[in-house]
Amino acid sequence: MSLLIQLITGTNIVTNALGGFFLQPVAVLPGWLSITAISAVLGVFLLIIFKYTSNQKAIACTRDDIKANLLAVKLFKDNIVVTFRSQVKVFAGAFRLLFHSIVPMLVMIVPVSLILAQMGLWYQTRPLQPGDAPAVIKLTLNDALQTWPQVTLEPLPNVKVVTGPVRIVSKKEIVWKIEPVEDGYATLVFHVGDQIFTKQLAVGNGFMRLNPKRPGPQFSDILLFPLEKPFGPNAEVQSISIDYPERPSRIYGTDWWILYFFIASMVFALLFKPLLKVRI
Amino acid sequence: MLFLIAILLSLSVVFQPELAHAYIGPGAGFAVVGSFLVMFTAIGSALLVLITWPLRYAIRAIRYRRVFAKSRFKKVVVLGLDGMDYSLTKKWLKEGKLPNFSKLYELGCFKPLATTVPSISPVAWSTFQTGSNPGKHNIFDFLTRDRKTYAAKLSSTDIRGPSKTLTVGKYRIPLGSPDIRLLRKGIPFWKILGDHGIFSSIMRVPITFPTEKFYGLQLSAMCAPDLRGTQGMFSYYTTEDNGNDTSTGGEYYLVTKNDNHIKADLIGPHDPMLKVGTPLTCPFTISITDQSSAVLKLNGDSYRLTRGVYSDWIKVVFKASLGVKVSGICKFLLIETEPEFRLYVTPVNIDPEKPAMPISYPQVYATYLAKRQGPYATLGLAEDSWALNEKCISDDDFLQQCLQADQEREKMFFDSLENIKRGLCVCVFDGTDRIQHTFWRQMDEQHPVHQGDYQPPDSPAIEKIYKQADKLVGKTMQKCADPDTLLMVISDHGFNAFRYGVDLNLWLEQNGYLTLKENGRGKKNLAGVDWPQTRAFAIGLAGIFLNLKGREAQGIVDQKTEAAQLRNEITEKLRELTDPARNKPVIKQVYNARSIYSGPYKNDSPDLLIGYQFGYRASWETAVGQVTDRLFHENLKAWSGDHCIDHSLVPGILFCNRVIENEHPRLMDIGPTVLNMFGITVPGHMDGKPLQVADDAAEASKAPAPEL
Repeated sequence: MSLLIQLITGTNIVTNALGGFFLQPVAVLPGWLSITAISAVLGVFLLIIFKYTSNQKAIACTRDDIKANLLAVKLFKDNIVVTFRSQVKVFAGAFRLLFHSIVPMLVMIVPVSLILAQMGLWYQTRPLQPGDAPAVIKLTLNDALQTWPQVTLEPLPNVKVVTGPVRIVSKKEIVWKIEPVEDGYATLVFHVGDQIFTKQLAVGNGFMRLNPKRPGPQFSDILLFPLEKPFGPNAEVQSISIDYPERPSRIYGTDWWILYFFIASMVFALLFKPLLKVRI
Repeated sequence: MLFLIAILLSLSVVFQPELAHAYIGPGAGFAVVGSFLVMFTAIGSALLVLITWPLRYAIRAIRYRRVFAKSRFKKVVVLGLDGMDYSLTKKWLKEGKLPNFSKLYELGCFKPLATTVPSISPVAWSTFQTGSNPGKHNIFDFLTRDRKTYAAKLSSTDIRGPSKTLTVGKYRIPLGSPDIRLLRKGIPFWKILGDHGIFSSIMRVPITFPTEKFYGLQLSAMCAPDLRGTQGMFSYYTTEDNGNDTSTGGEYYLVTKNDNHIKADLIGPHDPMLKVGTPLTCPFTISITDQSSAVLKLNGDSYRLTRGVYSDWIKVVFKASLGVKVSGICKFLLIETEPEFRLYVTPVNIDPEKPAMPISYPQVYATYLAKRQGPYATLGLAEDSWALNEKCISDDDFLQQCLQADQEREKMFFDSLENIKRGLCVCVFDGTDRIQHTFWRQMDEQHPVHQGDYQPPDSPAIEKIYKQADKLVGKTMQKCADPDTLLMVISDHGFNAFRYGVDLNLWLEQNGYLTLKENGRGKKNLAGVDWPQTRAFAIGLAGIFLNLKGREAQGIVDQKTEAAQLRNEITEKLRELTDPARNKPVIKQVYNARSIYSGPYKNDSPDLLIGYQFGYRASWETAVGQVTDRLFHENLKAWSGDHCIDHSLVPGILFCNRVIENEHPRLMDIGPTVLNMFGITVPGHMDGKPLQVADDAAEASKAPAPEL
């Protein structure tokens, strides 16, 4: 594995531990409350990071300059030269603001991506529930395999396999359909040739920390699905994914949660901006 | 290593397309969203301008076509140098110390500019604004008397609380803005320009608070108050108990040094939300780090103070009841840390970024300037001469303050010159006035402030400020090089020595015109005067009021049968007043306001205006309505120069980049001249007349300038 993948895999061990501890209340709180609380805390925390990683003086000067030029447009409105000169300066100021946010962006992008990945484990999909339509489990084999190995899924007491294994030879995929029977975490055990590969499964109501995919050695997959150790590049299996259902909510539901988090954290940061004396 | 890892991770995340949507924190998110908002706003306003400007331009071109066609210049610039003296300027011009003024003189002209009676800044600048005599603009002095109580009050501005309030328990919630009135009457000439479509930028012209609506921009000056509503109240914190707690223009606070830490409060305005308004305070601490520096902690921020160096403007937020906040700005000057601690704080100026009072028109103009150049002094008398008089700050400290104020003004003046292509720019600089007031003693060997032999400095502060003004003129000339620009450099009056103060009230008492109550001597605001026995009194710097029946609350002089005779009688006696100790005449001329003024407000002026001889002026005590026991007071204050003497002795200056034909131009002619330059007929109510300005600078400059 490359250095980068080793790095992110190692980092995931730490963030999983921290996420498991700090995000544990998500399991018991209403979704809107937990995501609002997380947004508030992170909004303020990241605002503080922004304060200390950005050039606050330069940002203040740029903001003042932009405001002065916007006011110049109003005050000297009958002077077309001043008006357009001020507009150009406003644009230049906007770009300067972007420039001043590069350093904090670079600093924050890593922790925020890791945090978002941890949050995604809770909000992006919901666990399977008994009575749901069958969910698809997809195992992808390594392209480098010359022969098709024997692949089996060990039976589990809380899961019923309704279809499969179905081989999609062109994609080197094997697919099962399962029906959850009982709440709780379970470990799916796959036998591939003489090797054993596992994948976690979450069945239950409400919020559970779940990993829709155990990734292969792809950086983005490892970042987005951090909960389980990725498969190595030479492993027979390159990924195992479970098609969990979408969570239906405009606040904490699939894909919406990130938008809500974006807005809510900004609102909280805005509220705390004067208190923390941060210029953004 | 960690840093390297972070960079590696950052770059890898940035270049992962799957994570392109990743949100990277509210700060950066704001920056991105904010930048786009700014861009959208700019695009929106640009479009709006593109759509509306041609229409507005067409309307203006049609509506004001006659004015535009008749305008002799596109731009007129009036640079005011308060108090710049004709004689001193002429002297240093001759000596070659003012090269830029010299160039301007060679290009156009240099003449004495007749000032007003009395030759006091608020009167003179009001005449400049309105082109009329004081009888038409109602400003006769800095101070006037309250007709009911006879107490001294500001002549130019009346500040009252809001007329409607809601009282709930101990709270009094204002239901409107405070009632702030400009008492200067008449119409400023830039209002007339605006009515004819000519844009103006009027900066720091005295007696423009509160600002008035017109087509242009304005920043007010002299008489604009500090945040407490006073004309400038400095604070002085010291560990030395010298028995002082208040002084003129400032307050002393005795503080204790505890393990090199000092805790104190900055005093602000009264709580506007309380029925019984207590002053708001803003606590601060000073931690002395060594003999020459300390750390100031205020409103949660820390600032390093260095001995002898003013801090930048520091924002002070006063928290009033019901969550209301009032903000101001002030500068701190650490004077001494050992053995005694001394700290000077300037008056808390109104914060220009969020002005609590109408210091500019439009209101956002003050904000614009603050955003453009940073915080700046907004107090009318920005240079704290009281602190110097009271010896709280040194000569150098005061000089620094004056120069810093002028630097701020220079920035706003040049910004205005840059932004106005057609119209009027006026800016008044005060450094020349304040420094002549306070440093005249350096040039006056006979000044009573000098004890024993005195050696004047080689380069007195006044010469320095004149040279500074010369540099300003040089820069201004560069920016006004366009042949379509008329540049005038003017001052409102000149200067001379103020060696002795005359207690006019004592003179009136000695001559039987004023009677004091028992124990009435020494009381301020004429509180010791026995009004039923008093026919005349003095307050302010300009002159003498008769205690007229029907005008003053306890008047006894009949306006029809006695007043004229009384005026003549006092005039005759005053003309003969001499200073026996020096055997010198004290008064050059006494003017009857009824004779020299015309207009609806002439009856509100002092009845007699006193034109003092060189070296004399109304005493400090007379100004505040105090009767002492000495007729002549040696002036031992730093405030050693003045212009409150006969107007003929202190003419101002007029430089122009065009030849002006008139022999005796007057300050009141400047406004009408500007109107005339823009092709506008001078209104009949103006007393000033347009000066004859030559058309072509090049033509005029062919003839050598007359020798000085």
